[in-house]
Parts: sequence; structure tokens; C-alpha cells
Amino acid sequence: MSDEHEHNHHDPAPGPVTPDDAGSQALAEALRSSFAIVKFVMVALVVIFLGSGFFQVGTQEKAIILRFGKTVGQGQEALLGPGLHWSFPYPIDEVVKIPITEIQKVASTTGWYAVTPEQELSGNLPPPGPSLIPGVDGYVITADRNVIHTSATLYYQVDDPTRYVFRFVSASNTIQNVLNNALLDTAARFKVDDILYSDVAGFQDAVEQRVSALADQERLGITVKQCSVVSIPPRQLKYVFDQVTEARQNLNKVLDDAHSYENYATNSAAAQASAIISEARSAQARYVQSVQADAKAFNALLPNYELNPGLFRQQKLVEVMGQALTNVGLKAYLPTSANGKPIELRLMLNREPPEPKTGAPAQP
Amino acid sequence: MKRNLITLITGAVLIIIFALLLFTFQVRQSEVAVVTTFGRIMGPPCEPGLHLRWPWPVQQVYKFDERIQNFQEKFRETLTADQISLITSIYVGWRISDPSAFLNSFKDGSVTAAQSQLESLLASDNITVVGKHPLADFVNTDPKQLEFDQIQTEMEQMVQSELQTNNYGIQIEFLGIKQLGLPENVTQAVFDRMKSERNILISRAQNEGQAEAIKIKANADRQANETLADAQAEATRIEGEGVAEAAKTLPVFQKNPELANFLLSIDAMKQALNQRSTLFFDDRIPPFDLFHGALTNAPSHRP
Repeated sequence: MSDEHEHNHHDPAPGPVTPDDAGSQALAEALRSSFAIVKFVMVALVVIFLGSGFFQVGTQEKAIILRFGKTVGQGQEALLGPGLHWSFPYPIDEVVKIPITEIQKVASTTGWYAVTPEQELSGNLPPPGPSLIPGVDGYVITADRNVIHTSATLYYQVDDPTRYVFRFVSASNTIQNVLNNALLDTAARFKVDDILYSDVAGFQDAVEQRVSALADQERLGITVKQCSVVSIPPRQLKYVFDQVTEARQNLNKVLDDAHSYENYATNSAAAQASAIISEARSAQARYVQSVQADAKAFNALLPNYELNPGLFRQQKLVEVMGQALTNVGLKAYLPTSANGKPIELRLMLNREPPEPKTGAPAQP
Repeated sequence: MKRNLITLITGAVLIIIFALLLFTFQVRQSEVAVVTTFGRIMGPPCEPGLHLRWPWPVQQVYKFDERIQNFQEKFRETLTADQISLITSIYVGWRISDPSAFLNSFKDGSVTAAQSQLESLLASDNITVVGKHPLADFVNTDPKQLEFDQIQTEMEQMVQSELQTNNYGIQIEFLGIKQLGLPENVTQAVFDRMKSERNILISRAQNEGQAEAIKIKANADRQANETLADAQAEATRIEGEGVAEAAKTLPVFQKNPELANFLLSIDAMKQALNQRSTLFFDDRIPPFDLFHGALTNAPSHRP
């Protein structure tokens, strides 16, 4: 547009300036074309300048535009979401990007013995010295005045990006200090055995709560997602701490054994007891039934007996004898001797006759 | 002349840009600026945005970071109220609350100078506050006696009031103990104590286990015996019931005690003469009484 405009007005110009000097006409021509190039370059520069104002915001971040240093928009409106955006180029606008949905991680620095990450990875740990050197070896003091190593890793999310960036020079550094403080403070409330063995989760929760409380108090603009804590006894005393663990495991084993014995003893006693009782019940029932049966039989027999008691007895006796004799293993008949003297009979009995025949050798 | 117009416009734009650079300044969000005219502070501090100024040497602009800055003290050995040597390290979050006062207090508003001032304040306050508390206030199994938070608050208030009195233009946002420690030689003593505590725990675990196991076993035996004794008693009672029940039939037998006794004897005999018995008879016992007198050759049978 502007090019065309200028051409129209420049066309009549050569007339009055240079009528018929070929040299100066050529110069003017050259000037004109170079001037056109300059103009084109300037327009291109302006386009590039404005085009450089486009920027992209990723899915896990937000952006804030500062116009002449001041935030554009208020509160949540100031935050630009993912997508393509445009701002005036520097020095009018400045774009500040803030990671937001991404979980950030920070680790405590004051609770662990002196070890570099490389040493830790290679497993080639420096040997423990006889004591802990302040400023080199980190540790915490427990409520019962033991000294242990503990390390916390905090995972958090930025809630209030504006605060996170514009209120703190280094928010992550502040969070690290808060984590260190929380670890120290929580350890001062817990006993060594609770931290190391009996209440590991409780200690971890307490540290997390403490960090959350401090973060709220200091208005860090973050949400604590997770806090994991690792605690170990001083390496110098590892052996003796392990021994305690072992002794406690043994204690549990001994107690388990005792309890299983207890179970066995009481259960078998209960079983025996119920056996005794049911045996007694059935014996009782048998006894009562037999007595009743006897009574019935008695009633049936009584009229017969009363007819002739002597005969009845005789009959009954013979009947029983007959039965008995069929069952008995060995029978010996000894007639009365003629002279009326009793017959002498000698028996040789084994202490425990294994067979019915053993009692046999009876000689008349 | 059109050509001259364009040149003019270009020139004007350049001059405007140059003038803007000379006569304005930007204050970024999170910053605060103080303007001095011939070295004298003029007006209130500037908020973020674009501001006008006279160029140097008339006016000068000092910009300060208004955000909370971290500062942490080095290790410091102090004595507690009960004369225990304690090593502490304190961190603070501080910020420039009054830029004008800050600029007046520290040359060219130097943050480094401010931090060294802060450090010396912290050092003396740390010693003072720690010296007022026994170690039991720092670490304690009883949360009621623990005064960790109070100690931190005390330090914070002390530093805060001193900063205000001196009008440094600095404010403490938070203060906390970063690390608590013991002198190196003390840690060795602590190790020895911990070791003996562990040894006590070991022997206690062993002895307690044995004692408890014996107790449990003895208790189990006692319970088992009680259960059995109860069962025996119950069995006896049941037996008694049976006898009582059977006794109800007694009147029947009383109709003829002789027959009753006879029947009982018969029964007893039946039971006694089961298998594996040996019987000897003479001829007075039925049914062998049939032999009596029938066998006349019996005596001659004898040698």
C-alpha cells in the first residue's frame, strides 16, 4: 500500500530535479531502489517484532504477563492456561511461566550422615567415625535423647503460583527449611523406638502434618501431597540395635510358642472333658435303661416265681448253667470221692494266662 | 516533502524511545523501588508498573527485591539453662518491609550488608534464648513440657523487636530452628549411653520372654486341669442322676426281694462266666447233680 503510494508521487519527481543528467538519474534510481529495500526490511522487522510476542504454555504450567513489570489481570484471571498466547514483546511485556500441576519434590538436608549421592548410588559408603561431627554429619535428637539419622522427602504441588513466584525468592529453599524444621521438631516429640520400629507411620504422619501446618502458617501457597520418612539408628550402633530387634523377635517366637501350647492344652482338655461328660451321659442312660428293663423282667417273672419259688430257682439256675457252660473255655467235673474226703486239686496258673487252655493242666 | 516526513517520523520514534529509556523506569512485580533526587529520598516507594523519572544525575532509582529471602545461620554452640552444650542452626525468612529505611540503613541498599547485620542479631538472640531454657524444653517425651514452638517464637519476637528499634526496614516473616546438635565429644558419650540402653532392652526382652512364656504355659495347664476336674465332677453328677433315676424302680423289686436278689445273682453269674474261664464242678451243683450216684465206677477210676 505504502509502496504504491510512494511510486505514484515519485514518478513526476525526476523532471524538476535532474532534467538530462544520465549519471545523477542513475544515482537517483539506485537510491530509490535501496530505499525500497530499507523500507521492506523495516516492515519485516516490525512483523518479526510483533510475531515474537507469541508464546506457548504447556499442559503442566501457567503463565503470567507482566506489562511494564506489573501483573496483567487480578488473581486467577492473571493466570494463563495451556495454549498459544500473545503478548507485547520485551520491554513492554514479560512472560513468567510457573510449573503447577507437576508434583515437586524436595528432600531434607539436616538429618543424614555425610554421604554424597554418588557414594550412595555405588553403595560405597564412607566408614562411620567414632562420633558425629557437627555440620558434617546430620542427625536429630529424639525425645528420649537418643541420636538417630532420619531423612524426609516431601512431594508437593503449587496451589498459588503467584505467591510461590512473587512472594519468595526461593520458595523451594524455604520449603526445604520447613521440612528440616518439621523433622527436628517431630523427632523431639517421639521416642527412638517409636521412630525406628513401633510407630514409623505415626512419625511420618506427624512430620507431614507439621510441614502442612508450617506451610499454612508461612503461607507458602503449596499443598503437601506426600511425605516419606526414612530413619535409621547411627551406623556406629547398628549392631547393638539389630541385636535388640533380634531379641524382640525371639521374644515373640517364645511367646508364640507358649500361646500355641496354651491353645493345644486348653483345646485338648476341652475335648477330653466333653468326652468324659458324653461317656457319663451314655453310661447313665445305659444304666437306667438296664435297671428299667430289669424291673420289667422282674414284673414279668414274679407271678411264675410265686407259683413255686424252689422250682423257679432250680430252672433258672440250670438254664444259666447251660448257657455258661457253652461259653466257658474249659470245664472239669470232679465227682465226690467215695470216702467223702475232699479231693485235692492242684492248679498251675501262669501269671497272665494268654490262652484259655493254659489254665488246663488239672489232674484229678 | 513526503520523504522528509518519513524521515521525521522515524526520527521522532527514535527520540521517543530514547526519551522513554531516559525518563521512565519499570518496577517489576515482586520489586519495589525508591527514587532519590540529588541523594534525597523522594516520596513513597514505587509499586510495580511504569514510572517517570528525571535522568541521572538528577534522580536515581534503587530497586529492591520485595520477596521473602532465606537466610540461615551457621552452626552455633550455645549453653542451655542446665549447662548442656547445644549446637543450633537457625533459618529465617526475611524481607524488606520499608525500602526507604532499608536504603538509609545499608549503603546502596546492600543485601549482603543487611544479612551480616541479621546474622549478628540472630547470634546474640540465639544465645540469649537458648540460655533461658533447659534441654528438656527442646526434646521431651511429654508434649506438654516441650517448648520448641515457644523457643522459636521467643527468638522471632526478639529479633523482630530489635529490627524495629533500629529501623532497618527489615521484617522477619518466619524463624525456625533448622538443626539441633551436640558437640562432637558429647555424641560419643551419647553413643555409649544408647548402647547400654540397648543392652538393657536386649536382656529385658530375653528375660521377659522366658517369664511370660512360663506364665502362659502354667496358666494353660491350670486351665486344662480345671476343665478336666469340672468334667469329672459333672460326670459324677450325671452318674448320680442315673442312680437316682434307677432308684425310682426300686419299689418294683421290693415286691419280692428274694427274687430280686436271685435275679441279680443270676445276672452276675452270667457275666462272670463269660469266655476264657475255667470251671470246676462237683456233683452237688446242678445240672451235674444228675451225675450224683449215677457213676458207680467213679472211685475205681482213681489210682
